[in-house]
Amino acid sequence: MTAPDPDRLNDLGKRLDELQTRQAASVKRAPPSQSGIAFRFTTELVAALVVGGGLGWGIDWLFGHFGFHTRPVFLVLFFVVGIAAGIRNVMRAATEINAEIAAKSASKPEEK
Amino acid sequence: MAMNPMEQFAIKPLISEPVLHIAGHPIYFTNQALLMIIVAIASSLFLTLAVKPGRLVPTRGQSMAELSYEFVANMIHSATGEDGLKFFPFVFTLFIFVLCSNFFGMVPGSFTVTSQIAVTLALACLVVGLVIVVGFMKHGIGFLKLFVPHAPWYLLILLIPIEVISFLTRPISLSVRLFANMLAGHTMLAVFAGFVVSLGAAGGIYMGVALAPLLLIVAIMLLELLVAFLQAYVFAILTCIYLNEALHLHDHH
Repeated sequence: MTAPDPDRLNDLGKRLDELQTRQAASVKRAPPSQSGIAFRFTTELVAALVVGGGLGWGIDWLFGHFGFHTRPVFLVLFFVVGIAAGIRNVMRAATEINAEIAAKSASKPEEK
Repeated sequence: MAMNPMEQFAIKPLISEPVLHIAGHPIYFTNQALLMIIVAIASSLFLTLAVKPGRLVPTRGQSMAELSYEFVANMIHSATGEDGLKFFPFVFTLFIFVLCSNFFGMVPGSFTVTSQIAVTLALACLVVGLVIVVGFMKHGIGFLKLFVPHAPWYLLILLIPIEVISFLTRPISLSVRLFANMLAGHTMLAVFAGFVVSLGAAGGIYMGVALAPLLLIVAIMLLELLVAFLQAYVFAILTCIYLNEALHLHDHH
């Protein structure tokens, strides 16, 4: 085997770099598909409801354990807060997706 | 013969005797455990052996290993910046594990580790746990400012619980996204495979009709390969985004 020619290697490296930056600009962060967005929103919303409801249920259970009968109060309260958190999550997700689409349409290599 | 498309997700003990007991609960060696061990061993073996020659002009295997390294390194760098690179081993392991689990699950007759909510939830809890630990180590008690948005104090009474719950949804949305995608894809494949079998068994003209779902399976298989990669990517990038929040509070606003 002969030693690799440094000029050719450098040239190859440069060409590879060029190709990679070009590809990175186009491949990176393809905007999610419609169903992907829908799925994301659903999970964010439902997860918040589950966590909120679960947290309220847990607090009620804990109080019940110590003899305070608060049963539906915290469940209802935290469920409502869970709805708000879910909407907050969805709004945050929407902002992120919008930013992705904007970055995609501007199609410049991303530098943060 | 009716086939149950959900049967592929059943966890079965491979050895009828429990391997060990933890607090009175028998622990079995299941197909799930076997696949996880295979994934872990195969991916570490591949990655170490592929970069072993260390050639200047890489072979295909070395190139794959180097590309995955660069891919994850770039991802961490763009999402968290310079100081996020400390977490490269963690994110890389997570990414490779999820990716290999998804791909091993695509082999017909094998088992998809990531189609189990127990696995994905454990991984997601690991991520969020790390985020909390890193946040407190870096900012001390100031990490709690993550839950305090810029708002007048009378709104904070309402907003802080919302932010806390919003934070707590992360492990759930992270794990459900991976688990549901894998579950849905593999169920769909099994359903269409069931069509092929029952149409083929019906005989006569139905044998010809069976070709349609068969072709569809090929298409879905390709789509599933894409989903397998994409979900591993989403899992890793969200890990980076969460780590970024722990490292740089409120920078994302």
